[in-house]
Amino acid sequence: MRHDRAMGEQAQDWTRRAALGLLPMLGLAGCTGTRGPEPLKFWAMSYEGDYSPMLMPAFTAATGIAVDVQSLPATAAHEKLLTAQAGGAMPDVLMLYNGWVQEFATIGAIAPVPSAALVADMFPGVLDATRIAGQDFAVPWSVAPQVQFYRRDILARAGYAAPAQDWDGWLRMGHAIKRQRPDDFVFMLLLNWPDTLITMLGQTGATMLRDHDTRGNFQTPEARAALAYYARIFAEGLAPKALSTEIQDPVAAFAQGYFAIWPTGPTTLLDLRRRAAEIPAARWGTARLAGPHGVGAVSGLSTSLCVSASTPRVAEAWALVRHLSSPASELRYQTMIGNLPARLNAWASPQLRAPILAPFKEQMRFPASAPKVIEWERIKLEIQFAAERVVRGVQTIPQALAGLDTRVDQLLAKRRALVEAGTLG
Amino acid sequence: MTRQERAAWIFSAPVLAVIALVFVLPTALAMALSVTDYSIYALADWANLRFVGLGNFGDLFATPLFWRAIGNTALFAVLGVPMAIGTSLAVALLLNDATVRWKPLWRVLLFAPYVTSIVATAVVWRFLFNERSGLINRVLATVGVAPVDWLGDPHTSIPAILIFVTWKIFGYNMIVFTAALSAVPQDLMEAARLDGAGRWGRFRHVTLPAIGPTLLLAAVMSVAGFLQIFAEPYVMTLGGPAQSTTTILYFMFDEGFKWWNLGQASAVAFVLFVMILALTMVQTRIGRRYEWL
Repeated sequence: MRHDRAMGEQAQDWTRRAALGLLPMLGLAGCTGTRGPEPLKFWAMSYEGDYSPMLMPAFTAATGIAVDVQSLPATAAHEKLLTAQAGGAMPDVLMLYNGWVQEFATIGAIAPVPSAALVADMFPGVLDATRIAGQDFAVPWSVAPQVQFYRRDILARAGYAAPAQDWDGWLRMGHAIKRQRPDDFVFMLLLNWPDTLITMLGQTGATMLRDHDTRGNFQTPEARAALAYYARIFAEGLAPKALSTEIQDPVAAFAQGYFAIWPTGPTTLLDLRRRAAEIPAARWGTARLAGPHGVGAVSGLSTSLCVSASTPRVAEAWALVRHLSSPASELRYQTMIGNLPARLNAWASPQLRAPILAPFKEQMRFPASAPKVIEWERIKLEIQFAAERVVRGVQTIPQALAGLDTRVDQLLAKRRALVEAGTLG
Repeated sequence: MTRQERAAWIFSAPVLAVIALVFVLPTALAMALSVTDYSIYALADWANLRFVGLGNFGDLFATPLFWRAIGNTALFAVLGVPMAIGTSLAVALLLNDATVRWKPLWRVLLFAPYVTSIVATAVVWRFLFNERSGLINRVLATVGVAPVDWLGDPHTSIPAILIFVTWKIFGYNMIVFTAALSAVPQDLMEAARLDGAGRWGRFRHVTLPAIGPTLLLAAVMSVAGFLQIFAEPYVMTLGGPAQSTTTILYFMFDEGFKWWNLGQASAVAFVLFVMILALTMVQTRIGRRYEWL
């Protein structure tokens, strides 16, 4: 009896211990058993990243491949992607702003587009930005020219049905509005967002770089004219001297009439639709950006899709790019976040005939071209820093432009050495 | 080697190995990087890497923004260290007074900012500093001060960030000083009082010598901390306006991680290292002279 009980306890003990020992194995089995193949990794910035998961169910249903989307904040995306490339942790598919394609192709982070069919039927001029030495490295996804978003009601009170489209007219209109609303501003030009300033430089014909893009070329009449006009807008009190950190909610500021004209891209369409309670659709409109003598070429933050050069799943990655850049996906994206399709035949859709999109459609045919150097992203910021110094009265225009030439020469020193050695074309 | 010594080496070997691996090796590699022109071109192709000797330092000293960053950092340290330590000491002295009630509650409330998330509090403070609708300007307006564009004016951006930093970090040194103050001998205090020493006399000749070593430690840590200030300008102003809040570390971050000029960034790190080392040595010497260490 006693012996039996001891035996029983021992047996019980053994099973309990065995069960305990098995627990981690069960856990392991649970992990490996239920998981299929690894999902494809896709990184995108800004609204594209936030809303991409909604485009994925259709892809997963059609191909059986799951996709893991990671949204990167636009301000930190550049360093995150470079770090990922250096650390060998690139995603399979990634979104790049067109201005970054040259850089990531040069460091060998992205693979060339394998078939011409993927980039057939694109808006003319769009492919120029992503084609390096005759080879396509990205599939254009959206085209995002800047246009001027304007407050219809404020402009109407100043006697304008639509904003002026040349520089002199812009200033005259600005003063007419300022007279009506002396406590507010007219234009929204953030002092750390370079796109509007770069557009102005392009429109006056400033070439910005010289000697095979190895030196700065800012001490020219064209660059002086553009910078003088930019600085004048601030000096005459038509734009707030503010950084993006100070205007924490530009849509609210636009709704309150803090400014009446806002040069920005198509994703603002989503912001304004979301906040329709604050600013009804009847109160704002869009028009092409003003140029020195009327409308012209404009730069923007167009996006492209690329495949990492290190992905082991090449076919699946390109299948995802094909899905995301298909006219159907692009149109769906347009309704969701305002992004404008890069594919021409998507534009046949009646959805894109809304009058609010017409200025975008006209502007898309005139993209400004940027110098294709790795350092361009950084040079853009240096140009903006120089302009900020002028606007804040720290430097005069000639001082700022001379300083800019010196700085850009310094930034391009390595490129200059490589071009002179013949390593770089 | 005796048996004891051998045992000691064996016991400390794992720690020494870890220190060598995660501290000595990376430091040596960073110093090696600082004499190369490692940049994004080297990331593309190792053949583009060149040994440049002290070239990075030459380039650095020829960059106006680097000097600007040194000036900004010095301003942060010169204004910030007295501001932060002074606030900590003043609050600790107040809390140390026998008449204050609910001391633990006050300590917790005043320490709370130190443990909050810097990004979240920076967003709140950005609203407080807003030129048009900010609470600070509204309060100033009631006493007739014209609105100040705190974060938008290159002259007020550093003071504005320092107000935020002081609010955020003074709680830590406050606790340290509270502990030191409780060790001030009460019999000395009583004796000084009987000898007719006033408030200032007692603070100068009794309290200060007693908390001297703590004060020195706080000063060394604060100087090192302020010379490495980065997160606050990064979340409040992005280094602006007109690069007036770009600090050495911010400059290094931009060069190294944003633009991948790791050679140049390592040179900046080396300069910063030398600066902090030199300042700490000076502080230690001052401490020795007053026999605090």
